[in-house]
Amino acid sequence: MSSRPAPQIGFSFEYMMWIFTRISGLVMYLLAFIGIVMAFVMGARQQVDIGALARWTFFPNPNHVVDTNIPDVTLGWSNAWWQVMEMLMLFFAVTHGLNGVRVVVEDYMRNSWARALGRGVIFLLWIFMLIFGIYVILAS
Amino acid sequence: MEVTLRIFRYNPENGKKPHYEEYKVTAEPTDRVLDLLEYIKGNFDGTLSFRRSCAHGICGSDAMRINGHNRLACKLLVKDLHGGKITIEPILGLRVIKDLIVDMEPFFENYRSVLPYLINDEPAPKKERLQSSEERERFDDTTKCILCACCTTSCPSFWVNEQYVGPAAIVTAHRFIFDSRDRGAAERLKILSGQFGVYRCHTIFNCTEACPREIEVTQAIGEVKKAIATGDLG
Repeated sequence: MSSRPAPQIGFSFEYMMWIFTRISGLVMYLLAFIGIVMAFVMGARQQVDIGALARWTFFPNPNHVVDTNIPDVTLGWSNAWWQVMEMLMLFFAVTHGLNGVRVVVEDYMRNSWARALGRGVIFLLWIFMLIFGIYVILAS
Repeated sequence: MEVTLRIFRYNPENGKKPHYEEYKVTAEPTDRVLDLLEYIKGNFDGTLSFRRSCAHGICGSDAMRINGHNRLACKLLVKDLHGGKITIEPILGLRVIKDLIVDMEPFFENYRSVLPYLINDEPAPKKERLQSSEERERFDDTTKCILCACCTTSCPSFWVNEQYVGPAAIVTAHRFIFDSRDRGAAERLKILSGQFGVYRCHTIFNCTEACPREIEVTQAIGEVKKAIATGDLG
């Protein structure tokens, strides 16, 4: 009797976001780890200070490490690798964070209209931050 | 020993605002809080209202907030409160009807929403639906629930929104989802994966702390989340 069929529960937005929160948390650690390792490989081990290293980890913008000897400082985000890295970090951080705010809205807004409004504002904010972030990455 | 009880009082019929009243009583350390309430009702104020039935921790009627923790008044001894002052209030998150009595209907509405009964449309065997000891053990913890509402009314998510099914309903769902004789797991998991299902739980653990039956409530909720994620009912 223990061989009961696995239940098919269909699509659940709450479940998708719950699992996304966990996976994106791990992915952000991975991206930060790759950033830190690459900074060291590029020469940060000789000169970069801890603050610059932290900024590089979460926001690999060459302006953050100008006073260090990371060699491709001048390349900026025109380097496709760092563009992709930063876009991934942007997507996961913004979506992870705003989903957290959405959960607060779902928890604490009792009126269905207020909840709908909260969700709408968060969705627009999400779109705006992604577009604006991508623009900054590509234009700088 | 001398004990001061500070009790929440509210009577919608006398026009007074909700307030606290103090009663000084002499108590044995081994008296239960329920004994003190009975004493006050019998000797000081017959209008004091609270629910009680079996008085032995099984019926789940006398859940109340004692010194800030949800407890059964019939299971809590005076000596375990470590002090001469005891504050007694109705459980939170439900409408107060009178004194310590709350409207339990939203709680039971949530309970009913998770289909709290065995679902199995397969033809019944001649004698009975057999189950091994291991299969019975799988959901043993959650069979202990007495629906006192201590857990659900200690949950901040429920305080905010009583549409959240709450820990007690999830515990009941767990009891059937992991029962090898039941076939309604998919239906229940679909309900619990919705907007007011298990994802309103943020593992605060108030429910586990509050449960007078010592059910590992947060773990049960975690197991339901896992069943939704993996489809594994093992």
